[in-house]
Amino acid sequence: MNTLAAAPPIIVATTALLALMAGLFPQRLVRREGPTVIAIVGMLVAAVMSILLWGNRIVALGGGYRIDHLSVLFNLIFIGCAVITLLLSVNESSGVDRRGEYAALVTTATAGMILVAGAGDLIMIFLGIEILSVALYVLCALELWRERSLESGLKYLIVGAVGSSFLLYGLAFLFGTTGSVNLTKIGASLTQASFNTEPLLWIAVTLIIVGLGFKASAAPFHMWTPDVYEGAPTPVTAFMATATKAVAFVAFLRIFAGPLIDIVHTWQIAIGVVAAVSIIIGNVAALVQTNLKRMLAYSSIAQAGYLLIGVAAGTVQGAQAVLFYLLAYAAMTLAAFAVVIIREREVDNGEDLASFSGYGRARPFLGGIMTLAMLSLAGFPPLSGFIGKFLLFGAAAEQHLWWLAVIGALGSVISLGYYLRVVGVMWFGAAGDPEPRKLLNVSSPVTLSTAACGVAILGFAAFAGPLLTVCQQAAMSLLSP
Amino acid sequence: MLIGTLSTHHQATGVPLSWYLALSGAMFLLGLLGVLIRRNPLLLLLAVELMLNASNIALVGFSRYWNVSDGQIFALVVMVVAAAEVVIGLGLIVAVYRQRLALDVDALSRLKG
Repeated sequence: MNTLAAAPPIIVATTALLALMAGLFPQRLVRREGPTVIAIVGMLVAAVMSILLWGNRIVALGGGYRIDHLSVLFNLIFIGCAVITLLLSVNESSGVDRRGEYAALVTTATAGMILVAGAGDLIMIFLGIEILSVALYVLCALELWRERSLESGLKYLIVGAVGSSFLLYGLAFLFGTTGSVNLTKIGASLTQASFNTEPLLWIAVTLIIVGLGFKASAAPFHMWTPDVYEGAPTPVTAFMATATKAVAFVAFLRIFAGPLIDIVHTWQIAIGVVAAVSIIIGNVAALVQTNLKRMLAYSSIAQAGYLLIGVAAGTVQGAQAVLFYLLAYAAMTLAAFAVVIIREREVDNGEDLASFSGYGRARPFLGGIMTLAMLSLAGFPPLSGFIGKFLLFGAAAEQHLWWLAVIGALGSVISLGYYLRVVGVMWFGAAGDPEPRKLLNVSSPVTLSTAACGVAILGFAAFAGPLLTVCQQAAMSLLSP
Repeated sequence: MLIGTLSTHHQATGVPLSWYLALSGAMFLLGLLGVLIRRNPLLLLLAVELMLNASNIALVGFSRYWNVSDGQIFALVVMVVAAAEVVIGLGLIVAVYRQRLALDVDALSRLKG
């Protein structure tokens, strides 16, 4: 009966296999459209299944997987990101002859993410992160004929594997300190004994922060991010920037806000410092970028810093703020990348900021979405990005982490420089030199998903109240053993 | 503290935990050093492999110390994951090599034309 709780990951994993097989069918129509359709339908079924499980607290797979409010909420975030990524990649050149692999890899990565979100023990956290990482290495290098894509995949593989090794070594020491891989038991044994002076625990915490820092692309472990984001096919970059980041944070929350919450003093300062460094480096480096994908990469480093502030707070309010901001961040970032994807298909160097000159006047709809995304990322009230940042900084201030809140606010001010520059270039720039070759009719799935992201940015702000209740329930479920 | 008690706890039954940890720590640092100073992707993969296996030794050592099998299962999972990672890595290296090769061949034919 408990196996029912593991339905979401099982459904998504099965979907990946079906999508892979559909890509091998002899009929051209099935081969081209089948995998995407199957993947989207399968993931939506898993999403419905997750929603049906909302409110339950079930442990499955021998304690390895659990369904609670948090895992259901994250299932929906991951599936939403994956479905929008698949819709954005319709007619994308990287997938012309490898639809099957593309859809299957995105779905496999989603299955790995779902496992991390519901992880009940350390093995599942590591396994889930690796399943999604290995799928993403291949996705980055999918455009085999483009040298940059290959380079991006190889770089991501090496750095990702180093990050995984740090994480794994940390998890090994956490297991060694407590004698169990089960998160509940780890939490129990850490409350029982005094581990204040335990050197092994300090090593474990440090290594885990470094490992997850790599995955969340937080500074100073961010070196790979701009190169990989720039080289990978843009829909894959969008997926990495949103879903993968969310995974890193659910792992942070599952480990630190769960079993390690009682020894908050061992990790609070370390995570706070990583957050501060990320905010400063990300925002300052983003100021000088002229390539929009690189700019968004540095912006994502800064955003990871904001999110880490909520983790460092180590309270339910902090976790709640992280969850809300992750929702908002996913919508804003996907919207920005969606516009870049559309522009890339129109002109050759569509990822250059210069190619967006006057784009807003030529295409008010896309210009509007991009403006919305940029303003929300910068944290303009009343958009969802502002609400999220407000909650994050508030949670830090409540724990007397004033310095973090101040650095976060300063970082937001710096970030106005590059976010507003995009808006300015789009609406007030001289009519672009690289005009759209032809006013391409953007295919309807792409338009639909772009509009959905824009609506989500506004919707998350308009319905912030009920959404925050959901986030709070999810954050509370971290604490119940 | 744990480190102190390690040597006495299971001393009678074999290698003490601190030896496992020393070996795994040395291997991890060696791997990290390799990642930092090597520039050949094949050697980088080897170095990463060393880091992952350092964790395996720590896991198995801890598993023996606590007398539970969790760590050994973890180590088995890690082996599978490491193999998958290396396969992808080698595939990518071959793809890069082929692409460079193709480019060179292209240049040669252009000279002839």
